[in-house]
Amino acid sequence: MKTLLIILSFMTATTAMAQNKKATTVRKTFSRETSVSIDIKADNAIIWALLTNASDYARWNSTIISIDGKIAVGETIKLKAKLDPKRTFKLKVKEMDTNKRLVWGDAMGKRVYTLTPNPDRSVTFSMDEKIGGPMFPLFAKMIPSFDSSFDQFATDLKKESETIMNSK
Amino acid sequence: MTVDLFNREFETNKGQLKSYLLRITASVSDAEDIVHDTYIKAVDKLNTFRGESSLKTWLFTIASNLAKDNLRAQKRWTENVTDLGRESAMHNKQFFQEAMHIAATSPQGQFEAKEHIAFCFTCISKSLPLEQQLCIFLKEVYEFKVSEITGILDTTEAMVKYYLHTGRSKMISIFDGRCALINKEGTCHQCSELNGVFNPKQNTQEELMKTDLLKEAATGNKERLFDLRMKILQELDPFTSSAADLQLHHLEHNRQVMEKYMVNNA
Repeated sequence: MKTLLIILSFMTATTAMAQNKKATTVRKTFSRETSVSIDIKADNAIIWALLTNASDYARWNSTIISIDGKIAVGETIKLKAKLDPKRTFKLKVKEMDTNKRLVWGDAMGKRVYTLTPNPDRSVTFSMDEKIGGPMFPLFAKMIPSFDSSFDQFATDLKKESETIMNSK
Repeated sequence: MTVDLFNREFETNKGQLKSYLLRITASVSDAEDIVHDTYIKAVDKLNTFRGESSLKTWLFTIASNLAKDNLRAQKRWTENVTDLGRESAMHNKQFFQEAMHIAATSPQGQFEAKEHIAFCFTCISKSLPLEQQLCIFLKEVYEFKVSEITGILDTTEAMVKYYLHTGRSKMISIFDGRCALINKEGTCHQCSELNGVFNPKQNTQEELMKTDLLKEAATGNKERLFDLRMKILQELDPFTSSAADLQLHHLEHNRQVMEKYMVNNA
């Protein structure tokens, strides 16, 4: 019985760990793709609300300086990130499927946010950004790595969502 | 429930309902109209009241729906509402004459710092998105549970928690940056300024120190300071307090200033 419990707890732990994937980047000649995922113990409506409230980002997300504009399909937002504070990225919101999927991007690439509910009522948050194009090899070396910023984004989102979920 | 019993219960809850509506609309006439409409609607639907929630919760649900219909068409105020109100008042002789007259003649015309703190919160809360503002008042001032607010605002528990958390965080941040009572670097000193105008013989600092908010300001515990601010609102009825006439006059002034500002900056 004890052995069975140990095996079961090990299996549960491995399943939970499988939901959390530190940021990784796949580099190709004409593109680069960074992705991260994390398991969040909160209602997907809370995570969605945090991801779609532009003016509130800087409060909880330590990778963002500001986002101006409205996160709604067809709208353009102006994003300033700590990774490259001198630049303002003008991004068009391309897709929104409430509580499930959000996509924004520009001519260089797109970022996809996905929320996937799990049987244990947690939600797996995934963020994926692919940039590239025919000119990509010319400036690929000038673009900093997104890995640590992606990890931080996911960690901040998890912390804020779970704080809200556990509030009384 | 009989109409007679309902009428008695309504009278018991009317004060809180009216103060809630004033605080979310910032308009005496809108608050009074919505209280009236809430009564009419509640009597009309009395046979549907099954007692699944308290009558207070049911009345707040009807009132909140009516208020939302009224407020959705209006723009939200800006965080610097009290600066804009002050700037306008400085050039408005009539405003000060009326205020001094109220202070001199009305039994509810006494200037008190805690009343002004509550007034200030009412004004600035109108810069929050509507749902956040409603959740904050319902939970922090009128002491509804999250599960009750879910019913009042017809939303999920998760969203009520989201609105409460983000609304609270926003208000804490605004007051931390603005309010000189809790932050020496704060840019707004209106409590002290107005106390000096209306109570020139008082020692303003001594007077302000009577509030727990100022006593505990040095701790820097922002969450606690926010709770103390909410306690001030809980303990005051903006219609019956000793400063009601003066603060309602001031509120009406700020409402008019914001309406003009919204039109000019549309």
